[in-house]
Amino acid sequence: MSDDIHTLAGPYALDAVDDLERARFDRHLATCDSCAQEVAELRETATRLADATEVTPPARLKEAVLAEVARTPQARRARAARGGEARWRRWTAAAVAAGIVAIGAAAATYVVEDQRVRDAQAQAAQVTSILDAPDAVVRTGDLAGGRVTVVLSASLNKGVAVVQGLPDPGTGKAYQLWLIKDRQPQNAGVLGAGASGGARVFSDVQGADQFGVSHEKAGGAGTPTTPLVGSVNL
Amino acid sequence: MAARDDQPRPLAPAPATGDLLTQVARGDEAAFVKLYDELAPRVYGLCRRIVRDPAQAEEVAQEALVEVWRTAGRYDPAKGSASAWVLTIAHRRAVDRVRAEQASTDRERRVATEEVPYDDVVEQATARLERQQVRRCLQGLTDLQREAITLAYYRGYSYREVADLLGAGLPTVKTRMRDGLIRLRDCLGVSFA
Ligand SMILES: [Zn+2]
Repeated sequence: MSDDIHTLAGPYALDAVDDLERARFDRHLATCDSCAQEVAELRETATRLADATEVTPPARLKEAVLAEVARTPQARRARAARGGEARWRRWTAAAVAAGIVAIGAAAATYVVEDQRVRDAQAQAAQVTSILDAPDAVVRTGDLAGGRVTVVLSASLNKGVAVVQGLPDPGTGKAYQLWLIKDRQPQNAGVLGAGASGGARVFSDVQGADQFGVSHEKAGGAGTPTTPLVGSVNL
Repeated sequence: MAARDDQPRPLAPAPATGDLLTQVARGDEAAFVKLYDELAPRVYGLCRRIVRDPAQAEEVAQEALVEVWRTAGRYDPAKGSASAWVLTIAHRRAVDRVRAEQASTDRERRVATEEVPYDDVVEQATARLERQQVRRCLQGLTDLQREAITLAYYRGYSYREVADLLGAGLPTVKTRMRDGLIRLRDCLGVSFA
């Protein structure tokens, strides 16, 4: 009986055990390195199932939590934190998409305002269709102190780029986005004057091998001013 | 400022979240606010998925997030990512709540209330990419693996209940949960480097 306790790793990682089994398996974990390692990985995996449920909570939740935190003392540490830093890696493109989620409402505002699209829903639907494309490829990179995420779909021949956290471009100046195909730049949209970030949807993405950002006069330019502020390989 | 990234790469959040949690463990309330902003949408979303009732989900999310504050000192980075640690707390609390409610017959009624509404269309769009990846990987499982995992994780059923619901043996369900998660892990590219 006790020798098949390892098989509880799956139910345990899913919290699908009762309290007794949980206690029993907790004790087992303290002595079985292979189960401890496996459970850690299965928990990370289960967490990805949680990622897919993300919903913006009501603002009052934050107020309530912070108010309670302010009057709640912290428990003492059970033990000194161990030194070794765990390195958890997520290589999948979907994880990279969380970078867009993190930008959140700000990006939504840019999509709506800067694109001067009257129908925000239509715009969002366009973004959705690109993100949902089965062949969507996500690239992300640091750029001039900011961050850029580019999603391209060859089948739709469209892409969406989200740029955030660039330095203030200055009054009367703007950042312009470029798709670069074999060293030839192609306009992928101009961010708002003075804006340090934004999102743009663009088409004709086939053959693009780089994504670049240039610093221009407000309204943009026909060809990018070089050197570029930065670029990301696609 | 030449080209720097030519590969899909891991995002900063994993280590950054761990650092935040370490600061929270030292009583840093400002760090807790940042941690809240990063993780509350997932904590709340998960609670809503499992508990269903919005008011109760909010309660459970609040309990879980305060527990994160209270017990942050117990987080051990060697054992996993900070987000997994936080979401495990939230998941357990949500499952405990739904099981406590189980006797009451309205669980099934609540289950009938499907997907939760989103406030923000673009957020919805981006969350969908994540969901799609998860869904694609779930589709790669056998029916029994997929049903066992989703009934347990999203609805809070124990493996015994899952076995009942699916008319399968206990050893089979335990094994399918484990090998299903392993297949999911490989598909999603979750690894312990
Ligand atoms: Zn074991």
